[in-house]
Amino acid sequence: MPEMTYLQAIHDGLREELLADERVLVMGEDVGRFGGAFKVTDGLWDEFGAERVIDTPLAEAAIIGTAVGAAVVGMRPVCEMQFADFVACGFDQLVNVAGKMHYRQGLAVPITVRLPSGGGFGGGPFHSQNPEAWFMHAPGLKVVAPATAADAKGMLIGAIHDPNPVLFFEHKHLYRRVKGEVPPGREETPFRARVAREGRDLTVIAYGAMVWSALEATEDIDGASVEVIDLRSLVPLDEEAILASVAKTSKVVVIDEANATCAAGAQVAALIAERAFEDLDGPVVRVATPDAPIAFSPPLERALLPQADRIEEACRELLEY
Amino acid sequence: MSSSSTEQAQGTVAVEMPQMGVSVAEGTLTVWHKHVGDHVDRDEIICEVSTDKIDTDVPSPAAGSIVELLVEEEKTVPVGTALAVIAVEGGGGGEPAAAADAPAADAPAPAHAPASGNGTANGSHASFHSPVAQRLAAAHGIDLATVKGTGRGGRVRKQDVLAAAESGRASGSSAAPAAAEPSAPSAGVSEPLSRMRRAIAEHMTRSLHTAAHCTTIIEADFSRVERERAPIGCSPLPLVARAVVAALRAHPALNSTLEGDSLTRHEDVNLGIAVSLGERGLIVPVIHRAQELSAEGLAARIAELARRARADELTADDVRGGTFTITNPGGFGSIASTPIINQPQVGILDLEAVVKRPVAIVDDAGGDAIAVRPMAYLCLSWDHRALDGALAAQFLATLRGVLEGKEVGDDPIGRTAAP
Repeated sequence: MPEMTYLQAIHDGLREELLADERVLVMGEDVGRFGGAFKVTDGLWDEFGAERVIDTPLAEAAIIGTAVGAAVVGMRPVCEMQFADFVACGFDQLVNVAGKMHYRQGLAVPITVRLPSGGGFGGGPFHSQNPEAWFMHAPGLKVVAPATAADAKGMLIGAIHDPNPVLFFEHKHLYRRVKGEVPPGREETPFRARVAREGRDLTVIAYGAMVWSALEATEDIDGASVEVIDLRSLVPLDEEAILASVAKTSKVVVIDEANATCAAGAQVAALIAERAFEDLDGPVVRVATPDAPIAFSPPLERALLPQADRIEEACRELLEY
Repeated sequence: MSSSSTEQAQGTVAVEMPQMGVSVAEGTLTVWHKHVGDHVDRDEIICEVSTDKIDTDVPSPAAGSIVELLVEEEKTVPVGTALAVIAVEGGGGGEPAAAADAPAADAPAPAHAPASGNGTANGSHASFHSPVAQRLAAAHGIDLATVKGTGRGGRVRKQDVLAAAESGRASGSSAAPAAAEPSAPSAGVSEPLSRMRRAIAEHMTRSLHTAAHCTTIIEADFSRVERERAPIGCSPLPLVARAVVAALRAHPALNSTLEGDSLTRHEDVNLGIAVSLGERGLIVPVIHRAQELSAEGLAARIAELARRARADELTADDVRGGTFTITNPGGFGSIASTPIINQPQVGILDLEAVVKRPVAIVDDAGGDAIAVRPMAYLCLSWDHRALDGALAAQFLATLRGVLEGKEVGDDPIGRTAAP
């Protein structure tokens, strides 16, 4: 099985789908001739041509709106937002058009929107955000966020095959940092949670880059047995996996790289409060980015985003509770 | 049993809660014999401690003077907890020792303010019980007030409740005291149950709630037992015990323990013998590997265990590991009882009074006749979860056969062939 970076795995997934299904097309700002701002689509323009790998204007509403129309008439478009932050410009097309099309008109909208998200590299307030929760709140959209190279490919393929609009949050900080064996072919990774590490004493729930921070932070907390759950999919949320882990450990730390208020972790905490109250042996603890824009200054950015030491401290506190 | 101690700074030594058996995790300090400032000789008794069943004295590990008593009377602390600090004679002038580890059970419960940036716990304290702690305590019938917490500020954590439930299962110890006393309807003196009575109460109630009790009764002719016991000079009990061992070997399903869904058949017969301690209560010392003993050997072991039980000399290991129990209230004249199973065993045999009764027999000429014979009822309470009535009856039939000398093959209680 070939080893790939997270970025290569996404490229591989796009290429496999372009090869296998002529309905699949890629569109976005500089995704064609230039190969994408992060080079995810590098080489696809050469291989598949400008008809299927389409450079678009700097207009997210147009990109998504065009994709919705193409999807309704039978295509499988994959749009790239150059940075997830820019999706705000296409918000109406996603939330009011794509998300409600099936409800209003019975039409499937099989679009995939790739959103390079997350901070940790000094990108500042417009290039570092984790806007997953904006879309979790809107009915009709699926929201996924892989943490590993294999999942990045498998979930992208799952997103392209899915008849619903899927927002695919790929973490920029993982692009070239995470490597792993990636299966060849077009196998889908199901939109369900994954146990990244089994444990008995405490559960840490995270997704995206925070899965790696959680694993690092809990590698050795005085021998405590810490379970790490990688949510992988935020909508649908794998409630049974979360509840099963809480039933086992009775203590939970939920990590969000996103701003704390109404983040995905808030939904997880609410779920646990509602459905696992009698399993709890301590408060549900959240570690998240405060409700502030992401600072450009690296020291300030480090202070904002959950770091392994902050996660470890929260886990220690709860273990001792 | 030796008292353990830890060398301290400044010529002091700490006296610790001794280990009173391999599986004993904690003990209760029952009474101090010394006060701060008192002189003690080496090996002089300075306090008494007990588990739920066993009481013992704690000797001083060194000669010196008592600097500090760290545990109050009636407090229960883990094995190894420092109980007192002694300034060793000529070891540093009896300066107050650096406080030995404070016993966890006595630790005050400071309100805790969490420090984490995103906020972790609300203020926590020992009296707060989390949802899961309450749910598990209810499920296991544990009073959370009796569970020692290891969480912040002494809070009872999930693992503490599970440990209490586990130790309750393993030892039959008093994880929970008896239910609150009902208010007395008439004049009288109320006093709390003794520790032993609480343990008995908890164990018996739990057994009734746990096992599907059935009692099967068989009548046996004790003519032969009466004949055989005379030369040994013992009560019928050792001969019955020997016959029970033989019957258990023939029906090993009765020599089992059932814990949850797990039924364990035991190779060895570890025979519990109930010993009455009068008003104080009852204790069941265990004759381990009873299958290796003759009737005389069993008689000697029973006499020894009963003597030690009444003299409070049993160790915790003497009362553990039983696989089957015999109770023998017949000495007081009762003729039938329905005993409660000693958990997690699956059977208990009750030997009732041997009384002369007219019984129908077949005489030597083959005719029916009425004869006067020493008869006794053998009452077996058994756990219908583990076995069924046919097996219980077969076991009793085998037992009767051995007692009456009608079993073919080995005759475990007969002496007639001896020179």
